[in-house]
Amino acid sequence: MDDVLDEVVPSEDLQKFEKVYHEQLHQGRVTPKAQFEYAWCLVRSKYAADIRKGILLLKDLFNSHAEGKRDYLFYLAIGNARIKEYNKALHYVKAFLEIEPANQQVLSLERQINKRMEKEGMIGIAQEIAFGLSNERFIWRSLSSVEKAKKGVVCLV
Amino acid sequence: MYLNLAFRTHFTNMTSGPYNYSYIFKYIIIGDMGVGKSCLLHQFTEKKFMADCPHTIGVEFGTRIIEVAGQKIKLQIWDTAGQERFRAVTRSYYRGAAGALMVYDITRRSTYNHLSSWLTDTRNLTNPSTVIFLIGNKSDLDGQRDVTYEEAKQFADENGLMFVEASAKTGQNVEEAFLETAKKIYQSIQDGRLDLNAAESGVQHKPASPGRPLAAPPAARDNCAC
Repeated sequence: MDDVLDEVVPSEDLQKFEKVYHEQLHQGRVTPKAQFEYAWCLVRSKYAADIRKGILLLKDLFNSHAEGKRDYLFYLAIGNARIKEYNKALHYVKAFLEIEPANQQVLSLERQINKRMEKEGMIGIAQEIAFGLSNERFIWRSLSSVEKAKKGVVCLV
Repeated sequence: MYLNLAFRTHFTNMTSGPYNYSYIFKYIIIGDMGVGKSCLLHQFTEKKFMADCPHTIGVEFGTRIIEVAGQKIKLQIWDTAGQERFRAVTRSYYRGAAGALMVYDITRRSTYNHLSSWLTDTRNLTNPSTVIFLIGNKSDLDGQRDVTYEEAKQFADENGLMFVEASAKTGQNVEEAFLETAKKIYQSIQDGRLDLNAAESGVQHKPASPGRPLAAPPAARDNCAC
């Protein structure tokens, strides 16, 4: 584990805060605290569906509870980065940095997101190249030796 | 082909290189809001002082590789937010910590008065072998001191804690606090007091030599199908 994007919430914590949230929901009034604690656990889940649910809860808080806006923006960025929605994640990071341009915690998150985009971009390119090469080989193997001879290609190996 | 090789080299380095450390120790940093927890972490990992440090959101994470008794150790440090609204969730980060740095501000008595509550949390949520190190931060502001060294030293002794006064601003005693904690943890491993196999010891042992064989690289040349 090398950064905050790798961290996974222990399932007993997720269940604990989920229970509080659902109890309040059942009683008809969810406090911002319970909603935030549950959402904070959800965006650290290993399941994308949980993360998406956490993002929805955070968006709702962002629109309804002014006091914690910077916290909600931060975890919206983390949640989106964890489901590889990097552009959305960077959008939230930028919104945060407009208010606190020198915030080291958020600048460091921005670096981690960029690093992941770069790494996954390279894997994508490598896969494309590998796919391209194997396709070429497949076409080449499909040609009969006569066709190869006609093409005048001499194989040296 | 060149590109293909370049990628392969890149990914080999990235994914399967040997560990360059033998152990991982998990630390947490706890204490009231504004005592300088993140500044201590930043001073330790970056050797710089962060002026105007904003309140941490949730938890922040930092790492640094240090050396104790000739062994390379990677410190994974969780710096928790001091604000009350994060406290319920940050408690889950205590679990499995090998070291806990408990920080107060020598110029604000209230942050010292709250130490027993932080200590109770730490004792309840960590292992008996967890090393707890008390840090009185902002020692550069001696003129505004609100807690004497002797008083804090006595509190530390009574509770079996290690203790220094430090300054994240000047860097005084910052290295010492992080390194002394690691030494104590390492000592516990050597003495057999800390069980490396326990799930929540906060220590992972990594073989210093390549832990896993490098993935066999695909054939460097494409076999010709003629």
